[in-house]
This record gives sequence, C-alpha cells and structure tokens, in this order.
Amino acid sequence: MKVIVIGAGLGGLLSAAKLSGSGYEVEVFERLPMTGGRFTNIDIKGYQLTTGALHMIPHGPTGPLAQLLEEVGADVIIERDEGMAFMRIFEDIENNIYEDVPFGKFGKTFSLWNRIKLALFMITTRKNPPKDCSFAEWLSRNFDTPLAYQMADSFCGWALSLKAADVPAEEVFEIFENLYRYGGPGVPIGGCKAVTDALADVVRSNGGTMYTDKEVSEIIIKDGKASGVIIDGQKYPADLVISNIGHNFTHDLCKDVDISEEHQQYLDRIKVTKPSAGVKICLAANEPLIGHGGVLFTPSARLVNGINEVTNIDPDLAPQGKHLVMAHQTTQWERTPYLEDEIDLGIKDLEEIFAGKDFEVLLTQSYYNGWPVNRSSSGSDIGNTTPIEGLYVVGDGAKGKGGIEVEGVALGVRNTMKLILDN
Amino acid sequence: MKVNENCVGCGQCTAFCRKDAIIVKSKAYITDKCVECGICATYCPMKAIEVAE
Ligand SMILES: Cc1cc2nc3c(=O)[nH]c(=O)nc-3n(C[C@H](O)[C@H](O)[C@H](O)COP(=O)(O)OP(=O)(O)OC[C@H]3O[C@@H](n4cnc5c(N)ncnc54)[C@H](O)[C@@H]3O)c2cc1C
Ligand code: SF4
Ligand code: SF4
Repeated sequence: MKVIVIGAGLGGLLSAAKLSGSGYEVEVFERLPMTGGRFTNIDIKGYQLTTGALHMIPHGPTGPLAQLLEEVGADVIIERDEGMAFMRIFEDIENNIYEDVPFGKFGKTFSLWNRIKLALFMITTRKNPPKDCSFAEWLSRNFDTPLAYQMADSFCGWALSLKAADVPAEEVFEIFENLYRYGGPGVPIGGCKAVTDALADVVRSNGGTMYTDKEVSEIIIKDGKASGVIIDGQKYPADLVISNIGHNFTHDLCKDVDISEEHQQYLDRIKVTKPSAGVKICLAANEPLIGHGGVLFTPSARLVNGINEVTNIDPDLAPQGKHLVMAHQTTQWERTPYLEDEIDLGIKDLEEIFAGKDFEVLLTQSYYNGWPVNRSSSGSDIGNTTPIEGLYVVGDGAKGKGGIEVEGVALGVRNTMKLILDN
Repeated sequence: MKVNENCVGCGQCTAFCRKDAIIVKSKAYITDKCVECGICATYCPMKAIEVAE
C-alpha cells in the first residue's frame, strides 16, 4: 500500500512516521524548503524563535502527543516545570504592585460566596458539562466578578487563541478534564524543531521519502476515490492520500469531483470553520523576566493573555546567559485589519508587566487566515474523513475532541491511523 | 521584491534574509538593503513575496 502525505507539518509527519512504521510505503510532499510547518524553529540573532508555536506541548511528557511520539519511536525529551502556572493579578498597575496566584488556586482572589460556588462547580460540572452555551455565557450565569471573565479570557486566549465568548463551555470543561487526566504543559528540549526533526528522521529510517520545495497542485480522484497527486504537472499515484492542510484547502485541490448531496453537506460544514488568529511577541532578555518554565497568565493585561520563558527549561534556546520570552494574545477576527495597533498595545502590556527589567522586542509575529494559530478553532473541528474515499485530513484543521493545539493534532492523527490500520 | 496583500506578518521571511532587509510588524516591509536574491519568497507560507516589476 502506498500513501502520499501533503504537507510536512506536525500532523503530516506524525501520520507519515506511524504509517511508514506499519509497513506502508510513504511519500511526504512539502511546499516550503523546510519541514515542520508551524512547529519548527527559526533563528533570529541566536534566539530560537518559531514558525508558530510557543515551544509548548500542552500536556507535556504525559499527554497524547508525547505518547504518540514514543509509540512511533521519535526521540524527544519533553520537560515539565511542575506546578509552574500562575495568574499575575495586579492590585496597582501604575506602581507595579501585583500577586502571582497559582493557577490551581485562582479562586482565592474571589469573594467567599464565589469561592463556595466555584468549589461546587468543580465537582458537579466536571461530571455534567454544560451544553449549547459559550464558556463566557456559562460564567455570566454563575459568577458575578469581572475577574472571572478576565481569567477565562486569559486562559482561552493562551490555550486556544480565542475569547471565552467564542469557545463552547463543553469544550473548556473537556480541556480542564484533560489537564487533570494528562497534566500540565512541558517544553521539548531543542524546541519545536526537535519534535518535527525527530519525526522526519523516523520517516526516513522507516524507508519513507521526504520531499521539500514540492507543492501539490491537485489531488487525483478516480471513481470517487483518491488515487494520487499532481506536482509540477507530474502524476504521483497512491492508494491513500493524507492531507495536512485543513479541509478547505484540501477541497480546493480536488478539481474534478461530482458533488453529491452528502458531499454538499460536508462542504457547508467546512465552509463555516473559522481559523483562530493571534499575535506572538518575542522578547530577548538579559535577565530572567519570569524565572520558571511554566506559564504566566496575565488576566489584568489589555491584550496579552499569557507569557512563557522557555530558557528556564532549555537554556540553549537563547545565546548564553540570555532569556527568550514569548507572549501570546488572541486577535478577534474583526480586529485583523488593525493588527499594528493590536501589536502596539501588546508591547505596552509587556512594558508594564516587566517594568524596570532589561529586555527588548526581537520580533512580532501575527497569524490569521491561511496561516493561523489554529485552522479550525477549538470546538469546531469536523473529523478526519472526507466524502472522498481514501482521502483523510489531519493537523489542526481536524483535531480530536478536547485536544488543545498539538495535543488535538495528535488525537486527530490517532483517530485517522485507527481508521486506516483497522481497515 | 514586493510584498502582496496575502502577507499575514508571520515573520518567517525575515529569519532567512541574509541581508537583514525585512522588517516585520503586522506585515513584512522590504527595505533598500534588499539585493533581490529571492530567498525570502521561497520561505513564505502565504506566497506573499513577488519579484517587483
Ligand atoms: C502564534 C502561535 C502560537 C502557538 N502556540 C502553540 C503552543 O505553544 N503549543 C501548541 O501546542 N500549539 C501552538 N500553536 C499551534 C501549532 O503551532 C499548530 O497547531 C501546529 O503546528 C499545526 O500543525 P499542522 O500539522 O496542522 O499544520 P502546519 O504546520 O501548517 O503544516 C502544514 C504544512 O503543509 C504545507 N503545505 C501547504 N499547502 C501545501 C501543498 N499544496 N503542497 C505541499 N505542502 C503544502 C505547509 O507549507 C506546511 O508546512 C501555535 C500556533 C501559533 C501560530
Ligand atoms: S513570510 Fe510571508 S506572510 Fe510571513 S511575514 Fe513574510 S511575507 Fe508576510
Ligand atoms: S530578496 Fe533576498 S535580500 Fe531581498 S529581502 Fe528577500 S531574502 Fe532579503
């Protein structure tokens, strides 16, 4: 059996590693000169920035991605700074007076009444997650403190690049459940590139082939079945095609298809998936700004949702003695025409949060539309199959339920592999 | 080189420009340090960099 993978992002590479190790003949085609997609490193002045991610694996060494990496034999070390997630709550922002409240104890800043309700919800809601409302709606029904919203937006902004009003409550509770089940975030030693490079090595050592600078222009469909791809006018036949570029772009590559009623329903569903947008601000620091390898949530900030300092886990991600600090903020869809203002406000936030510290802005990076934070925002994923037999979609346009970011990519790949290998 | 409206400001191009000719803030701006080598265009995920006429 021969499989062609379109795109060498995390989803494509995980699929290629798994299938090449299960007796399939695998070819991966990547449009860019490098592999890794939005999960690899780029060097700026000796700092290891990235093409997308904040060098963080949401459930660290014990989550779905770590498990899948181990299963396919990818040699990656993921380290977690246990218990290191804080909410920075400002009492007086002008005079830089704040308290860093541990993430698990965020309720301590609430009134007694809200604290009692919170304790109750922790027990009841985990068992019966609320249906058909956003996380923000659920909060407004149950809490009367603005801090609850700010914390919710900070968490959703960091983890999903969305406002709490744009995430189904059920999805957030599924994520909380996964945090209990799998544990908190970790950093791969060597950064994102260590993960995607290790996967590319696995594919090659399993006899698979990786091509860069090769853009797929069409998916060949014969008798309603995917049977290969076209690159630079040349046909490459295959028994299965796995696309790493999301449902919409995948559909654009299917040129000659008869649209049945069922197919039309699929097209209507994929058309409404919205990619999530966001801004990452990368700082070079001459001293530690955070001091641990976890996450600093910033609910009091104007736009910044959270910040990390990965050099506390892997010092080699910056020049010797320096620190790499990355801040993330979600961008609402209607704000993308005003990105420059959004970036300026984010920088202002960071100047206040780290007032008096020695740092400079290395690079600001923004993501939306065709190169987003997530191709389909959490809670709106639509599975890995398509109406075309033998054509599957993996990656962050087709995540598994409750999976944040790359954990969702891993869960989606696991679903896809089950469908293919059980067949 | 010319940056078209596909650019999202991801900053990928600037890491590969050996002449330090690209400034990125919400969008890429190519400065007059550019020697038209074309490398940046191959690394852009949005096909946003073209040869200027
Ligand atoms: C600012 C930001 C911060 C983030 N932070 C985190 C984080 O800290 N933790 C986390 O878990 N996740 C994070 N994410 C999300 C994470 O980076 C992505 O979900 C993940 O990298 C997506 O991988 P993918 O395989 O779905 O797609 P991609 O990485 O987009 O891979 C798709 C590949 O397909 C190629 N391609 C496209 N079209 C074609 C074609 N026609 N032919 C051949 N190849 C093609 C592309 O060039 C690309 O390499 C972040 C994302 C952003 C942008
Ligand atoms: S790589 Fe492309 S999309 Fe990204 S900033 Fe450069 S020109 Fe814009
Ligand atoms: S063409 Fe070459 S010199 Fe000019 S901006 Fe692109 S990479 Fe830099």
